[in-house]
Amino acid sequence: MDIQDVRVKEEPLFFGKARSLMGIITDPPKAPRDENFPAVIFLNAGIVHRVGPHRMFVKMARSLANLGFVALRFDHSGIGDSKARNDRLSFEQSSVSETREAMDCLSTIRGRKRFVLVGLCSGTPTSFRTACLDPRVVGLILLNGVLESPDKINQEVISYVLNHKIARSYWQGKLFHPPSWLKVISGKANYKQIVNVLTSRLRDLFVPDAKVALGANHIVGDLRSLVAGGVKLLFVYSEGTAVLEYFRMALDKEIRKLRASEKVKVQIIQRTDHTFTLLRHQEELLGLVCDWALDVVLD
Amino acid sequence: MGHEYIAAHRSYHLLAMQLSQAGFHVLRFDFYGCGDSAGDGERGDVRQWLSDIEVAIGELRRRCRFSKVCLGGLRLGASLSMLTACERDDIDGIVLWDPVISGDTYIAELTKLHQDVLQHSYAPPSRRSMAEKPTESLGFPLSGVLLSDLANLDLLAIQRKPANKVLIVATQADTGGTQLKEHLQSTKAHVEYQVLPGPKLWLEDVNKVLVPNQILQAVVSWISRMYE
Repeated sequence: MDIQDVRVKEEPLFFGKARSLMGIITDPPKAPRDENFPAVIFLNAGIVHRVGPHRMFVKMARSLANLGFVALRFDHSGIGDSKARNDRLSFEQSSVSETREAMDCLSTIRGRKRFVLVGLCSGTPTSFRTACLDPRVVGLILLNGVLESPDKINQEVISYVLNHKIARSYWQGKLFHPPSWLKVISGKANYKQIVNVLTSRLRDLFVPDAKVALGANHIVGDLRSLVAGGVKLLFVYSEGTAVLEYFRMALDKEIRKLRASEKVKVQIIQRTDHTFTLLRHQEELLGLVCDWALDVVLD
Repeated sequence: MGHEYIAAHRSYHLLAMQLSQAGFHVLRFDFYGCGDSAGDGERGDVRQWLSDIEVAIGELRRRCRFSKVCLGGLRLGASLSMLTACERDDIDGIVLWDPVISGDTYIAELTKLHQDVLQHSYAPPSRRSMAEKPTESLGFPLSGVLLSDLANLDLLAIQRKPANKVLIVATQADTGGTQLKEHLQSTKAHVEYQVLPGPKLWLEDVNKVLVPNQILQAVVSWISRMYE
């Protein structure tokens, strides 16, 4: 989609109990058809302000607005142009509370009653937790999503995931890559890592990843409840990243079952990095998000 | 511009707040095709951005009463501030925070950083793309027009005095900063050059970047000294 053609309208917005949260609302060229047409809210990716990594959220918000969606990109407190909080709420609590304030705001000023939340990496646990608490959320777009704060994932699981990431890079990338074999023959390879990869692969054949999945049981339960409640989810992952390995180990089996309901869609973008840095990957992601958003509404 | 803009955003917000608390009218804005402003990234170029600075000065004049204007920027924003000041008679001061002195060097730095960062990812740049003219840098487009504009950028070639008062802030003592100081002094500008070792915002991982409070304080203190 050519953003040059977008005729959307944008305005800055201060909202929240203390009007300390700053966002940009993007309105479609024509008013949405009815109040059931959901609005889209973008959550901060880490401490990157509301424009998103590589300004992707600006492009997405404008493209979605051109399709008829009202979109809001806002900064959580202490990020971008929003003031820091002076209470003692953890980010885990405040980020959910602020996302709900963003929904309240769009309900008041634009009459929206249903919402799609978009998160990338650290924005995904906030999206997920908010959806679990607030029935106004009808869709989630989770980009390289982890669903729970990384600091809550235990070290053993993280090591397991990282080993798998390296192993997969060996199996998929290096096994059929002549220069890698040359390194092995010439004694320049990292033999310790190769042994680790082989043993990890053998272990996988005999020991299922039940231990890892166990740690994600509450997430699986929440996911089932959301889908049963009608929430639709789009997961987009970058191939070769640790978050995708975690997703595969913790949720893949469950997702396979949930996919049958057609409420869950998983897309993987090949040969990209965690924030979809290359412009062609950003374009691919934008297409996936817009197509899915229309599916959610038209269904 | 580009990833440098994103890394600097919170620092700019805090700098503006501190200057406002010190009693100054402050306007921050995003160039065309950057941040929240209109336009595709592909359409941003130096001529457009210089025009944006003119519009920003006009907008601030429309909203507030003041007699003197001080422009400030980081990296390319600093260079564009200086270029604007050279073309106008009403800019009294400029703050150049780690300015891009040579456009050619800047393009080479952007290209190398882009390749270094992607080298260890699943999207390593191909040898062919590394040999070609860059078309993007760390997630942002580099159009042919912009590359050509940048290639013509050379602050040391400017002969006119940009402003009466100039503050150069550098996070590292290097010959570039010293050369620029001497060059600006030769235009009869009053130049203060401060080296304040700290994080190079534009090279840091955006999610690990810290606000360089020492630099913000230095800028607020210099502007306060010059205009109170």
